[in-house]
This record gives sequence, C-alpha cells and structure tokens, in this order.
Amino acid sequence: MRTAIAVVVSCIGMLLASAPASAHHAFAAEFDSAKPVKLKGTVTKMEWINPHSWIHIDVKNADGTVTSWMIECGSPNTLFRRGVTKDSLPAGTEVLVDGYLAKDGSNRANGRDVTLTDGKKLFLGSSNPDAEK
Amino acid sequence: MNQRIFISLGVPLTVLTGIAAAVVLAALPAIGQNSVPRTADGHPDLSGVWTNATITPLERPKDLAGKEFFTEQEAIAYQKSSRERRNKDVRERGTITDVANAYNDFWWDSGTEVVKTRRTSIIVDPPDGKLPPLTPGRRDELQTQLDAKRQRCQHNPGCEPENGNALAPADGPEDRPLMERCLSFNNVTPMLPTAYNNDYEIVQTPGAVAIDVEMVHQVRHIPLDGSPHLPANIRTWMGDSRGHWEGDTLVIDTTNFNDQVSYRGSDKNLHMIERLTRTDPDTLMYRFTMDDPTAFTKPWTGELPMVKAKGLLYEYACHEGNMGMTDILSSARSDEKKAESASKH
Repeated sequence: MRTAIAVVVSCIGMLLASAPASAHHAFAAEFDSAKPVKLKGTVTKMEWINPHSWIHIDVKNADGTVTSWMIECGSPNTLFRRGVTKDSLPAGTEVLVDGYLAKDGSNRANGRDVTLTDGKKLFLGSSNPDAEK
Repeated sequence: MNQRIFISLGVPLTVLTGIAAAVVLAALPAIGQNSVPRTADGHPDLSGVWTNATITPLERPKDLAGKEFFTEQEAIAYQKSSRERRNKDVRERGTITDVANAYNDFWWDSGTEVVKTRRTSIIVDPPDGKLPPLTPGRRDELQTQLDAKRQRCQHNPGCEPENGNALAPADGPEDRPLMERCLSFNNVTPMLPTAYNNDYEIVQTPGAVAIDVEMVHQVRHIPLDGSPHLPANIRTWMGDSRGHWEGDTLVIDTTNFNDQVSYRGSDKNLHMIERLTRTDPDTLMYRFTMDDPTAFTKPWTGELPMVKAKGLLYEYACHEGNMGMTDILSSARSDEKKAESASKH
C-alpha cells in the first residue's frame, strides 16, 4: 500500500472541460456558490460510503467552541481503486478546506481545495503515473 | 480439470451442489494461455469482472468526420490532449461552475484510453458515427416534457440544478433525475460507460446469465432457457431480457421497458439486441443495436470492447447513504424560505 498522505486526494477542483457522463448529483444543487468558506480543522473520521464519502473535521471556532463539519467526497469504490483507503486521512490530521457552504446552512461543505499544514495540496489527477488504470 | 485442488482444500466434490460446481469449474483457467476458457457445457465462459471505461465518445466528434479509426499515433495524441484538458485547473470563484468543479478528475474514472479497436466513436451504424434523428413524434414528446419542467421552474426558488446545471423541480424525490434517486446511471441498457465505477460482473450458468452492474448495483437476469418475453403489459426499468447462444456469441434480446427510462431519447418501445463475444481472454466484444421506431428514425448500433478488470466489483450501496437526496431537498426548502422572507421586505 503506497504512502497514504502522498496520494490522498481530496476534493480539490479541476476543470472538466468535457465532463463525462454525470455523477450522482450536481454539487451546485447542494452548495452555494455565493457562500465560499474556509475551514481549518482536524480530521475526526472518514465516512466510507456511497454515493459519496465524507471527511469529518472538527473546527475550533474563535470563541473556543468546536464545530463538526462534513466535507463531501467521491465514491469509495473509485477512491479505493486509486489507492485511497479509509485510513488515508487518519484522525488528527490537520487540514485546510477551501470550499462552498451547504445551501441549507448546515455544517457541510464541498472541498474545492484541501491542503495539509505543510502546504501540500491533496489531489490526484488521472494523469498521475501512480494512478491505477 | 484440477481435481487435486478440490481435495487439497478439504472440500470433497460430492459436497458441492450442482451450481456451485459449475461456477467453480468455470472459474478454473483453461489449458492453453491464449484460448478463451469454456464452461462445462462447451460455451465460451464470459464470467468475470469487465470494464467498459473509455474516453471514446458515443458519437464521432465533428472534427473527425469521415474518420472511422485512429492510427496508433493519433490515439496516443488524443489520449494526451484529453488528459491535459481534464486536468487543467481553472478557477472561477463564486460561480456555479466553481462549485461543480470540486468534483475533480480524481473522482471520475471513465478511463484514460480510447477503445482497443481505436474507433473514433462507439456508434458503428449509421456509418457516420452519429445518432440517427429522433422521430418528430418523439421529439415533440421530449420537448413537451422539457417545457413542463421549465414552466415549473419559472420564478420557483425551490428548483435546483441537475447534472449539467439545468434547473429541475425538487418538491420531492420523484422530481429528481434517476441518478440522484439511486435508480439508474444510464449505463445498463445499453451497457455504456458512466462517470465512474464502470464495472460489470458476469456470472454464467447453463440456464441463465446474470450481469451485476456496479453502478448502481442492479443485476440483469437473462434466462437462456428459451422462455418467451414477459407479456406486453409488464414493463420494467431494465426491460425483460432473454438470451441464447449463436455459436460463440451470447445474444441478449430485451423488450418491455417502462416509460421512465430513456437512452438518448429511446422510449418504452425500445427493442435492444446485444451481442457478447469473448474474442480473447482479456476482451469481451460488446455490440448492441437500439431498434425503436417510435423514437429513432432508424435503428443504430454501437460497439465497445470491454476489458477484463484488474480487481473486484465493489458494492455501490447507494440508497443507504444517499444524503445527497436529503441535502438537495433540504436546499430547495431553504431556498424557498429565503425567497419568501426576501419578498416580505
């Protein structure tokens, strides 16, 4: 199993110039383009389910309280085939999520960018030689 | 066959039921590396997990008109430019496009290569590689449906984008597209690639073939016993399939579709004929004809070599975790409330 962090994707955005057949649902139906959000938190768990997996993070607010957030990700079947597993983002990992807030105001976001504290952006395009066919 | 394997596993052959024996025997490799394995009853063995992931489009692109096949160099160039296009990082902050682009190329898995045959389209007939026109009646029918949807979304804050970002009502789950409802990803009839998890597992027995479609975990059941199709008044989401062998090709005949499913405009009268031929141990040639005179002005045929998948087919249990549906409906209700309070000020 290759090094988990090095190949962990996440929800960084890239243009799909000619988007293939559609995914489970349109993100635009769920997240608000007018509400960009930046979250700094630690991973508490990764929910490894279809149709979308979720990264759960705890964000410490300015007033010292902690809020739990859910970041929406892809199908675990596909992630697994790319070398990402349930244990790829272990609990306690610090991440910076730059994304859009859920339209209904709940603590959900899609991660346009997910970055580790060392500045490494988590993503993996299909052009990466490590990616399995 | 390797009887020794059974004995060394401690499982006497007598304990296995007939069907289990057939499945196990079928799974043992045939003698001879390049020959296609056969089942005990002499047919080619189509069992296994196959993938149809490919970047080859259904229809031939306009700039490739008249060109039926790529050369090897052209295929490599096409693959490279496709990869570059898909991996380009473009940001348009604060737009719906930017929100949508969080669905990055890592999550897609429609493959990185053109089909093995290097055809420039999946469609082989009509020869121009394009879909034949819809019948006027079907065109009108679809336009009426589209107009009704647009009508419902006029000044309606409770409408939410579908894939492709067109607005659709969201009063309840039945308003939403089949994918959001975890019912179908339009990759079953015919078996063409979707966004990801493009895997199909075939289990073959003398009396029936079953095809497990990873997205969205439906199983096509195809009796080979010569029984007729269901009565015409019984209509289903995947139609009713009946199979038979023509030499080394499995022919699957499917009718009895309901009016909820449509592939590129097909309707409930679709008569789909599929042919599966294992041309070599790693290739399952898939050919399908869509005959639907009330929808298409003429039948059309596609061909796609499916390839033996590297790993397993994994369960895509969609309904159980379908938070996307509840989240979208909740977004719609929230948008309605916001619009209502805004209009009061």
